[in-house]
Amino acid sequence: MLRLLYALLVGIVGAGIVHIAVLLLLPQFAERDAWSSLAEAADIYKAVRIDGADGSPPIVQAVDPLFHAAACRFDLDEGPVRLSAPGAVPFWSVSIYNRAGQNVYSFNDRATERGALDFVVLTREQMIEVRKAMPEDFQKSIFVQVPTGEGIVVIRSFVPDPTWEKATSEFLARIACTKE
Amino acid sequence: MLKTAFLTFVVLCISIVGGGASVWYALKANESVGAVTIGEWTAFPSLGTPDADPYSKARVSREGLLALGRAEGLSFSAGHDSAGDALRRECSYRIEGAVPSARFWTLYAADAAGNVVRGGKRRPGALHSYQILHLPDNTVSIAAGAHPAPGNWLALSGEGPMTLVLTFFDTPIASSTGASDVTLPSIVRVACDA
Repeated sequence: MLRLLYALLVGIVGAGIVHIAVLLLLPQFAERDAWSSLAEAADIYKAVRIDGADGSPPIVQAVDPLFHAAACRFDLDEGPVRLSAPGAVPFWSVSIYNRAGQNVYSFNDRATERGALDFVVLTREQMIEVRKAMPEDFQKSIFVQVPTGEGIVVIRSFVPDPTWEKATSEFLARIACTKE
Repeated sequence: MLKTAFLTFVVLCISIVGGGASVWYALKANESVGAVTIGEWTAFPSLGTPDADPYSKARVSREGLLALGRAEGLSFSAGHDSAGDALRRECSYRIEGAVPSARFWTLYAADAAGNVVRGGKRRPGALHSYQILHLPDNTVSIAAGAHPAPGNWLALSGEGPMTLVLTFFDTPIASSTGASDVTLPSIVRVACDA
């Protein structure tokens, strides 16, 4: 009897260890995370709408109904990535997520001159290289330094009323997500 | 010998099943880790950031969430009215009070699965601050319900539980210190359809 009680006690301690291990390993092994859902929808360096605009179920949950959103995956180990889109919309905001879907950097249209969307995401080492000889194209870009290799950029655009839908859809459709 | 094998089996069963089930339960049920509660409204300022607790991180990965960044905004949700009763789509509510400073905010109702509650055929299921009528003292008063109401009306439809989601965009309260001392509108139940 005492041995059974002892076994139960050891089992509960073991359950605690398993609990912590599963919790900490879950982000690495989750199969339905944002990166995987996006990988099913589009290639890397390809901007894709994530709010279910064409009637399909949204790729990423909980997008505000008054917003349109597009996302693009990147891998900084292959070089910096540049995002730009021409046009003007009432409000846009950008979030950069790491591989696990954690928000590592965000900014909105007030961060730029005249609200133009043009920015370059790079690592610290790539930033040092770029500073040595600034390419002509990058003169007006915002530089975003992130501590991540693979990641996701999400651009959200406010749609105040249905008359803006065409403009914001075109704005998101013209996003160029290019490896430099 | 057989007794030792049996006890080892019991230990392993309790560990693996108990450990796995407790994680599953914690991710399903425990939503209060890292929450900031103001009146009826709850927000998770650190959800989806590298500073979040392990439970939030696991939930973000498991559900494939991409949370709003701090420079984008902060989202509050409410599942209960000011009397503590659960919000229901067949009831009408009045959302009243001061709102914190932000470039703009949006308000919509979500069903139990997190989908937006549509407000009939020609009504969008959401309101935003640029289209809202403000009272002379700069507070707002919004009627939410299935029946049309004068003033600001958030149209609802259907029945069942719902959550109201109030999101502030480009706001100082999204920074780490500001979220606790703001006031948000109260949600008062007006009437329910039988």
